[in-house]
Amino acid sequence: MKALFIRNLKVYFRDKASVFFSLLAVLIIFMLYLLFLGDMWISNLPDLPGVRAMMDSWIIAGLLAVTSITTVMGAFGTMVDDRAHKIIKDFDAAPISKGKIVAGYELSSFVIGVIMSLLMLVIGELYIVSRGGAWLTPTALLTVLGLILLSALCNTALVSFVVSFFRSQNAFSTASSLLGTLVGFMTGIYMPVGMMPSAVQLIIKVFPVSHAALLLRQTMMAAPMAQVYAGAPAAMQQAFEQEMGVVFHLGGQPMSVATSLAILMGTAVVFYGLSILNFSRKRR
Amino acid sequence: MDKIIEVTGLKKAYGSVQAVRGLDFYVERGKLFAFLGPNGAGKSTTIDILCTILKPDGGEVLVDGHRLGHEDAGIRSAIGVVFQDHLLDPLLSVEENIRTRAGLYHMAGKQLNDAVKHAAAAADVTEFMRRPYGKLSGGQKRRADIARALINTPQVLFLDEPTTGLDPQTRKSVWESIRTLQQTTGLTVFLTTHYMEEAAEADYVIVIDHGDIAARGTPTELKASYASDQLRLAASNDHALRALLEDRGLAYTCAAGSVVVKISDTMDALEILALVKGHIKGFEVLSGTMDDAFIGITGREIRE
Repeated sequence: MKALFIRNLKVYFRDKASVFFSLLAVLIIFMLYLLFLGDMWISNLPDLPGVRAMMDSWIIAGLLAVTSITTVMGAFGTMVDDRAHKIIKDFDAAPISKGKIVAGYELSSFVIGVIMSLLMLVIGELYIVSRGGAWLTPTALLTVLGLILLSALCNTALVSFVVSFFRSQNAFSTASSLLGTLVGFMTGIYMPVGMMPSAVQLIIKVFPVSHAALLLRQTMMAAPMAQVYAGAPAAMQQAFEQEMGVVFHLGGQPMSVATSLAILMGTAVVFYGLSILNFSRKRR
Repeated sequence: MDKIIEVTGLKKAYGSVQAVRGLDFYVERGKLFAFLGPNGAGKSTTIDILCTILKPDGGEVLVDGHRLGHEDAGIRSAIGVVFQDHLLDPLLSVEENIRTRAGLYHMAGKQLNDAVKHAAAAADVTEFMRRPYGKLSGGQKRRADIARALINTPQVLFLDEPTTGLDPQTRKSVWESIRTLQQTTGLTVFLTTHYMEEAAEADYVIVIDHGDIAARGTPTELKASYASDQLRLAASNDHALRALLEDRGLAYTCAAGSVVVKISDTMDALEILALVKGHIKGFEVLSGTMDDAFIGITGREIRE
């Protein structure tokens, strides 16, 4: 399995185009933020010191959540390609079990998701600081690292389940572009959660990736938010948090951190199980 | 006799299409065994089954003492396969490809390094080890495929149409490498082909058509039983020549301006020549080829 794991990593990173395309959604969101989304949201907020840094942290947190799922999806492309080009036959004829072959794809996709998220974190932090924000505190950094791992785990399980249905490259690339287009909405980045109709809000609140975004926002924005809302009434901050998807409310009650963590972990376990079922069902 | 592969009653259908209908054959250890047949005859299906990739619908298969369906891992460790398609990663170098595939056989460290070196030397790929597989020529790719198949020093090497799509010169050199490998290492080679001249070089040939064995034997045996020798006559007096042949009750055909008489033995030509020498300006005696044998067996020329 180690050999396959390393091979999958090499195949993914060697193909510069596929790396680029798995980051395309992230780049588009970031460009839109730089061009106008950022200014638009900041103009809607009270003119307090540190607003810019707070919103920069907000967008980077969202981008981290998006990077994780789109790169995991891109990494799973190797598996679909191998099936389409029959490369899988070469593995099947070797004394390695099918379970280990699948595990090799999953492990490498997880690791690719983590590597790309870390890269995104570095770029994001450099961006925040270059625009006058502050570095993450060591505690916040550790929490973010933990969240990156958890989010990659959850996304690997999710994508693995989805990919277990695909045999053709066409189906896969369609699904990838669909994900790339929708993920910005599903995580409440193109349009903050608070602006969406309630039905859409509900979809966002059950989408595991938005919980990764939520937890990342809470962690990365804690310090900048404290600075911005230092002298303001608590209700003002709460309204902002609810509007921008820093805290989700369900049935009038704020969802706890534990709930979001449980959703991420639950998704990982359930979808991992489902994908194993689906992969074994496909076997002749 | 040491049988390394034994197949009895092998069957496989795709839906209502019978790809393989009850094959029985065996392969002797250390021999070069060829499966000859047109496209769609069931060659690849048979190879895929023997390589444990495809489950047969019925029949027994023993490969190097391992029973298919029960000891698949044993079979996989004992075989090397060169598939019809090029199945290595185009963006990785030949060396990276061979190394990662070596990892599939539970090799590591020095053992792996030695195996890579050995396989590379045996398949003659050392020169382009560091080049990306996708940038190689067809012949080089095929050699890399063979190196990959040799990584676990297999007992049997399966090759599914190893020379298809190569230019004649490369085809010849790839073929010679395979032959040399089999002769020097005592490796058993099982290959499929639709080239007659390749089948003619094998130790044993099975002609397969429509999923059934149409004929089997050494190339010499096949030629002897299915191909007849020919006497080609260039007539100086066409009319008289034909009349003479008809008079003697000798069947003949006309092809490319010459009169062709089928003879059972090349020596028979002498008698006929003595008879017709006044009416001919030249002649040729041809012994039967695998092509003739194939046409004799299947009743038609090979479909390309």
